[in-house]
Amino acid sequence: MTAERFLSAACGALAAAWLLAASPACAQASEQAVKTAFLPKFARYIELAPAAQPAAGQPYYLCILGRDPFGQQLDRAAASEVIDGHAVAVRRFADASPAAVGGCHIAFVAGANDQATVAMLLTLRRQPTLTVTDARIGKAHGMIHFVLADGRVRFEIDNAGAAKRGVTISSRLLALAVQVKQ
Amino acid sequence: MRANCCVASLLLWAIPVAAHADDDQQQNLSSLSIEELAQLPVRSASKAEEPLSAAPTALYVITEADIARANGTSLPEVLRLAPNLNVERINATQHTVSARGFSGYESSNKLLVLIDGRSIYSTLHSGVNWDLHAPLLDDLQQIEVISGPGGTLYGPNAVNGVINIVSKDAADTLGLLARGTAGARERTAGARYGVKLGDSASLRIYGNYVDRDDMPPGIGPDVDDAIRGWQAGFRADMAGDASHLTVQGDVFDAKAFIAPGDGNTGYNLLGRWSRDLSEASALQFQAYYDYSERRSTSTADRLEVIDFEGQYNLRSGSHALVGGFGIRTTRDEFVNNINVFQLDPPRRRLWIGNGFFQDRFALSPQLSVIAGIKLETSSFSGLQVLPNLRLAWTPSDKALLWAAVSRAVRTPSRIDRDLTAAGFLAAAPDFDSEKLVAFEAGFRGQPMRSTSLSVTAYYNHYYDLRSARFIGSPWPVQLGNDLEGNEYGVEAWIGQQVTPWWRLRGGATWLHRDFRVRPGGSDVGGAASLGHDPSYTLSLRSEVTLPGGFTFDAGLRAVDALENPHIPAYVEADARLGVTVAEGVDLYVTGDNLLHARHFESNDPSRTQSIERSIAFGTRLKF
Repeated sequence: MTAERFLSAACGALAAAWLLAASPACAQASEQAVKTAFLPKFARYIELAPAAQPAAGQPYYLCILGRDPFGQQLDRAAASEVIDGHAVAVRRFADASPAAVGGCHIAFVAGANDQATVAMLLTLRRQPTLTVTDARIGKAHGMIHFVLADGRVRFEIDNAGAAKRGVTISSRLLALAVQVKQ
Repeated sequence: MRANCCVASLLLWAIPVAAHADDDQQQNLSSLSIEELAQLPVRSASKAEEPLSAAPTALYVITEADIARANGTSLPEVLRLAPNLNVERINATQHTVSARGFSGYESSNKLLVLIDGRSIYSTLHSGVNWDLHAPLLDDLQQIEVISGPGGTLYGPNAVNGVINIVSKDAADTLGLLARGTAGARERTAGARYGVKLGDSASLRIYGNYVDRDDMPPGIGPDVDDAIRGWQAGFRADMAGDASHLTVQGDVFDAKAFIAPGDGNTGYNLLGRWSRDLSEASALQFQAYYDYSERRSTSTADRLEVIDFEGQYNLRSGSHALVGGFGIRTTRDEFVNNINVFQLDPPRRRLWIGNGFFQDRFALSPQLSVIAGIKLETSSFSGLQVLPNLRLAWTPSDKALLWAAVSRAVRTPSRIDRDLTAAGFLAAAPDFDSEKLVAFEAGFRGQPMRSTSLSVTAYYNHYYDLRSARFIGSPWPVQLGNDLEGNEYGVEAWIGQQVTPWWRLRGGATWLHRDFRVRPGGSDVGGAASLGHDPSYTLSLRSEVTLPGGFTFDAGLRAVDALENPHIPAYVEADARLGVTVAEGVDLYVTGDNLLHARHFESNDPSRTQSIERSIAFGTRLKF
């Protein structure tokens, strides 16, 4: 039996919907694309202190501080999220000057180097912002820190650090973390 | 398990082509839940990929995912995946790998092969002894295969092609991996363990074992061509803010059985340091030591290599500049107790130097010119100037049209100059570099959303190729540079994502050769240095991802006949059925050369053995 015939036999046996829902990946998404999909979704799985929540009709601000590895795809991904009537809007800043980043609900931070990222995270500590990082090396870790685990995008969560800033992270998100600092 | 598959399938629907994550695909990712996203296998971002995809060369990349689904248990078997290479298995131990002709155990001497920046062609004969290199294939990041002179940036011997084998950063190989295969004539086993050392450093160690049985006799003498041995090593990566340090090394030992004492031994150590000096400039240095020893039928060759290289990159306006140098010294020894062929002197130190400079200049956003010059010299040959000029036109982000003209040389090997046989062969102190002027043009792109295509045409003019002439009455013979000629050919490959779960790949090469003895010259060696090439090769692969963690891959390849001596054209097939039975537990069964009980791939009259149909079982465990 040739590969093609084996294949068509195998596929014919399956309802199309089930096939779509059950065949594993042969083409893989990029690491960046998966992070892009994750970021706006974080807004749904955190709870900010009432004073820090967006006002009615206002969006959650997702800020990209420093280097932007996501580009326009992030804006499109954000546009598909609506959380309790709040949209998610992307803002980009070269650095974490307090005046600029005051309104950020979520901040992805990627400085030119570890030191720069640490400095921006320090600035953000003054406010109730969920900080997210992904540098593979160095000490700069936000409340959520993306890692690659067995070829999948996962994260470490600093739940204690988040709680100190008044950011409550939902148990659904915590359940996906490879490591949770309590 | 089922949950994993469900999630992954949505991605498939989302991402039919591995190429650009376009808007629809991102939208589909966004429609997944966070639990689904967390289960998606991803391609990790690689810095090296980007400049290469825009490289105006005949480039084929064998990815980590391709290697994970390949049947091969050795480097040359995995290289069969590259349609622009011709891989011939000679016997259990030996392969010949060539691009654009000159195929043969002794004649395939115009490739530059790098493993993590370490050049592995032998300065003894300029060819590659593939049996000396058995890295753990699971640790490889990718293999870039360039057919053609490859441009300015690669080191010496990049005449007909470059094979650049790159292993993963140690940070990407954490944890334990164990793998093994068993078939009637071959058993392999390997393991790797990777750990994090603090915040910014990682280390992996690995071991690899192969045991390949004697093949049944072919057109060569019936000898015991089995090989049994191991290779082990480590790689450590340390990353600072703007710098990266890699230290890696390997040690290997293998036994061969043609004569008592046969086998391979060697070790190497490499350090590479790179630093971003600014947003627009970077500096890299690399040094390595490499020792290898090959003992075969009462001959032994030993080679010690010390190499130091540096490279500086600078982006300035519309210019991307690269400059660098390399200096290599080799010390070799050749001992032959079986016949009269000797190297004179038996031990020698050689020096090989090269310097290069390249500017990629954007004339417009769509049109770039790449002008480069490489200087090569060895203690055997004078200074060679190797310019190359390339044009790259990208009318859209889905198409690249390119053209190039380059000059390349193969500097003399020890055998070219110093091989002697009392009364029969005299040393050739005046043997000159073999030379090539290559003209190439190609297209690479995505003509349709789910189709990738690359087509390259080339015209090569070679001169000063190795010949042999009588200098006595008539003996002895002396090697000379009296062969010349032209080659033209086409290489093409296509990838088609037929459905989200089914990918087809096709490849074809066609080569026409026209060589002659230079007017006034002579060749009494039967043009042995030109090798024996099939005029065409064809390949077709189907890669299917089935529900329930199953994968089914099958390949067909057709290779034209070789002449002198005649080996018939052949068509062969291979297949692989894999299943992930639990997270991190893969089982698979592979079949190779399924269509015939036995066939020949090489026409080497002194080495070729019969390649048999084979079935093997394998497993890969990750913890």
